[in-house]
Amino acid sequence: MFDDRSPIYRQIAERIKADVLSETLKGDEQVMSTTQYAAFYRINPATAAKAFQHLVDEGVLYKKRGIGMFVSPDARDALRTERRRSFFADVVDPMVTEARTIGIPLDDVIRRIKELES
Amino acid sequence: MRIEVKDLVLRYGDVTALDRLSFTLEGEKIHGLLGRNGSGKTSLLSVLAAFRRQSAGTVRIDGRPVFENGAVTRDVSLIRDAGETVDLGTAEDALYFAEWLRPRWDAGYARSLMDLFGLRPKMSVKAMSKGQRSAMGVVIGLASRAPLTMFDESYLGMDAPSRRAFYDALLADYLANPRTIIMSTHLIQEFGPLFEDVVIIDQGRLVAHEDSETLLSRGTEIIGPAAHVEAFTTGLTVLDQRRLGPTSSAMVYGELDDAQRKKAAAAGLELGPVGMQELFIHLTGGPR
Amino acid sequence: MRFPSRLLTALSFFGAMVWAGFYVLVVAITVAIATFGTLTQSVWEQAMQVPRWFVLSVGVSLVTRFMPMYLAHGQTRRVFGLHAAVSALLLSGFYALLMVAGYLLEWLLYGLVGWPQALELPHLFTEPTQVPLVFVECLTEFLAWTGAGILIASAYYRWRIGGLLLSIPLGVGLIVLTAGAVGAEFGLPLGDLKLGVDLSSTPGVAIGTGLVAFVLGLALSWAIIRDVPLRNRLN
Repeated sequence: MFDDRSPIYRQIAERIKADVLSETLKGDEQVMSTTQYAAFYRINPATAAKAFQHLVDEGVLYKKRGIGMFVSPDARDALRTERRRSFFADVVDPMVTEARTIGIPLDDVIRRIKELES
Repeated sequence: MRIEVKDLVLRYGDVTALDRLSFTLEGEKIHGLLGRNGSGKTSLLSVLAAFRRQSAGTVRIDGRPVFENGAVTRDVSLIRDAGETVDLGTAEDALYFAEWLRPRWDAGYARSLMDLFGLRPKMSVKAMSKGQRSAMGVVIGLASRAPLTMFDESYLGMDAPSRRAFYDALLADYLANPRTIIMSTHLIQEFGPLFEDVVIIDQGRLVAHEDSETLLSRGTEIIGPAAHVEAFTTGLTVLDQRRLGPTSSAMVYGELDDAQRKKAAAAGLELGPVGMQELFIHLTGGPR
Repeated sequence: MRFPSRLLTALSFFGAMVWAGFYVLVVAITVAIATFGTLTQSVWEQAMQVPRWFVLSVGVSLVTRFMPMYLAHGQTRRVFGLHAAVSALLLSGFYALLMVAGYLLEWLLYGLVGWPQALELPHLFTEPTQVPLVFVECLTEFLAWTGAGILIASAYYRWRIGGLLLSIPLGVGLIVLTAGAVGAEFGLPLGDLKLGVDLSSTPGVAIGTGLVAFVLGLALSWAIIRDVPLRNRLN
């Protein structure tokens, strides 16, 4: 269920962020509890709690005492802004590098992108 | 239950099984106890459960001494392969005595666990397969609901589906009834994600005691051109080093700070995490 | 301290089952002797040799089986010791009652068929129907035999073979002492060796001797198990 390359809690946090971005989880919606996460992912609840703490620190989730964790209303916008900022460095640059390594002319890449747009 | 072990020594005649062990375990967590064969895991658990008296040092559970202290031991359960709580005749006999002697025994839960593992009450424990006998111990251990529950490799002989059932049952019951659990295991990859906290011992001594995520963050694998790897790892604790032509890979122990990570990236080195099993293997000294 | 109810229930039930099986066997032997030869005496009296060894084995299993179980279920050695003492005492009485019942059933059977229920060995009693005397004699013997079983098992559990070297002579001593008190002799199975101590055989002396042997056996056992480590393996 998890790969070995990054700590489990970070992978859980990434998955929740992906759900927020895709609006599977909406603003002010409650997320499942640490207990439910622990049982579902077969991990210690402390690990799940750590993922939640991570997201609270980043402002993606907020805590209602005694009730649970909720998605911050502006979480999606914030995540989108953040992803936009790193989009070229994270996605485009490696793509260009890969295209060069295997010998695809950048014109072909640009043509493809335009095809996808139409 | 909070466990404080201080300068704990256990000797069997001339053999020193536990050699001045000191650590503190917080309550209501699942702790993993890792160690090689003969490292002292069973000895340590046996002292915590008052199965034996230590030769020197102190063991306190919630601040109280353990040996021959009924007020503490009635809240402590250790399930080990010797099968003290199961080898009494039939499965039903084992349940009969557990129900009588365990103050928090949950008979309904015990029955559902028996079903889960496919154990029938009339089965003779001696006639069971190794895996079934282990499962019987798991039933007794979990249904006792002891505030300190310890499993010493309690999955021996179980096949993968049964081990998975044990894993899920343990986690589910811990989530529903939080208590302190210590589990010794060699199946680090399989049971590792269950542990909030890990104690590693070797030759009766403490090697590491960290919460799992911290332990994992201490291990880093560095891959890149041999000369750069060498330069980068100078002065670090290198657990293992391998070489493939011009490329070298080193496993270092100790958290890397941001400056070091930047330096590595600048030198074209790839940094990756190290699994708990790998860390364990190298922290306890490779093949013996 | 709570009462060792489930330990007693389990061992009483087990004892009753073994007794029932044993009784059927003895009747079968009795009928066989009467059919193929001449029955001149009480077979139950001869069969009495065997239950002593069963009683000894109960003492042994208290230590080797139930002590580890008690400790693994979070009970102290002290609690186990008290439970074992109470259980051994009450079980000796219960098993003695089963012996009395054996004599009475035999008396009924022999009376029905007309066989002579003659006694051959020295006893506190002269007739198998003297219930109190039969009970006292069996109880006295069983107290010594369980005490010896517990002692031998304790020493063996702690020190293995070395423990046997020490405890078997002591256990035999307890048994010989009480055998003398009921006017009997202690014979090793299949052997000619007879040991005995001459004591005046009155019920009071007998039961007193039995209790002394029992308490002595338990006190020595307690000295051995009060801080005994649980063994790690099954052997």
